[in-house]
Amino acid sequence: MNAMKLKLIYPQEKIKEPILSKLCKSFEVDINIRKANVQEKVGWLELELTGKEEEIEKAIQWLSQQGIDVSPIEGQVFVE
Amino acid sequence: MAKVRALKCKECGAEYKVEPLHVCEFCFGPLEIVYDYEEIKKNISREKIEKGPKSLWRYVDLLPVENPTVGLSAGFTPLTKAENLGKLLGLNNLYIKDDSVNHPTLSFKDRVVAVALSKAKEFGFDTAACASTGNLANSVAAHAASASMKCYVFIPSNLETNKIIGSLVFNPTVVAVDGNYDDVNRLSSEIANEFGWAFVNINVRPFYSEGSKTLAYEVAEQLGWRIPDVVVAPLASGSLYTKIWKGFNELREVGLVDRNLPRMLGAQAEGCSPIYQAFKEGRDFIKPVKPNTIAKSIAIGNPADGPYAVKVAKESRGDIQIATDEEVIEGIKLLAKTEGIFTETAGGTTIAVLKKFVEAGLIGKDEVVVAYITGNGYKTMEVLEGKLNKLIHIKPSLIEFKQKVTGKK
Repeated sequence: MNAMKLKLIYPQEKIKEPILSKLCKSFEVDINIRKANVQEKVGWLELELTGKEEEIEKAIQWLSQQGIDVSPIEGQVFVE
Repeated sequence: MAKVRALKCKECGAEYKVEPLHVCEFCFGPLEIVYDYEEIKKNISREKIEKGPKSLWRYVDLLPVENPTVGLSAGFTPLTKAENLGKLLGLNNLYIKDDSVNHPTLSFKDRVVAVALSKAKEFGFDTAACASTGNLANSVAAHAASASMKCYVFIPSNLETNKIIGSLVFNPTVVAVDGNYDDVNRLSSEIANEFGWAFVNINVRPFYSEGSKTLAYEVAEQLGWRIPDVVVAPLASGSLYTKIWKGFNELREVGLVDRNLPRMLGAQAEGCSPIYQAFKEGRDFIKPVKPNTIAKSIAIGNPADGPYAVKVAKESRGDIQIATDEEVIEGIKLLAKTEGIFTETAGGTTIAVLKKFVEAGLIGKDEVVVAYITGNGYKTMEVLEGKLNKLIHIKPSLIEFKQKVTGKK
């Protein structure tokens, strides 16, 4: 089992959608939310995604396709 | 008693043993070094520091390293009184802290990497890593070479190799990842969690970032053990800015200085200003942005320490301002022509924003002001192409020289 700590940021139009519920039904991953703040215009949450490596990869890809900003908890580490 | 007591979560306060950890297991908040200042106070004095090495290691009592072994010449860069620039701006006590001449790779990164890899050696790591094409990669590759550590540098595969010649020369393994910046970020985090490598700004980040505190210590000592009234510094991840603040706080805590703390003024480029936006909108979280600026060394769209930088700006009665790309270029040129210091775009941003703060009346003419110049212009000369004076072409003739150059007949 692998685990990945992620920060998800939802744009306003996605806040009302059950994204995480769909994620768990579509991929063999578990989520554990550690911190969240959902407001009228923007929502973010920090969670741990556990599962097999390829399922995690697919889940992250799917989240990005839904318009969710997915980043590692460390933020941007690449520096140009 | 040890000077370092623990690692502590900046969010929930949970404490951890001093290990290569960087996020809280419970709330995922970042971890920070906790010192035993009472213990440090017993061992530290101005005299002891002044007798120490002419490097950042003269402040080893306030750093999370027991025996420095890497980057022994980093730090202790010049603090120059900027008479010409000060006169132009109407400031009587303007100083430039010049990390464009840091050793060995000419940016402030030599401070943080010296601390990160000294600590990594203490932890027993034999491999250093980072994701960068710029100052960070230069510094990690150079320090790893001198410390006989293996080194991995990660970059997106669509970047030209000549961007990293300044790192390749030190012979690291460069991994070009098929994907965009976000993919490189995510992969780097996964690698840091799985491999036993010291990924400088991920798993040894709490130690790495402490190196920036020395920018505060040095300035205070170079001013004759005095804290400046105003500090102007660039904001990228927010780490440098918050650690300068922490450095000044610590100097007071251990009794080396007794003045009030400075107002912390921060500088971002308009094309990548998530910290400025959060500050102005009164948000306590950062909305990531896609960077679009020539100031690439500070173009961090999703800055990990952004919320803490916002907090420092508020707590210090400071402010954050932005500069356009044109203003950044003008900032570089202004510092060069007035003080003879050639900085890169981060420094140009700092100078441009300093000018804006002065024009807005936020800095008093007699206040002691320190602007932090964090990198060297010789690394990114391409940004100035077509922006400088044209050459004057003449034949090898004294008459032509007089006519075309001096205007005399």
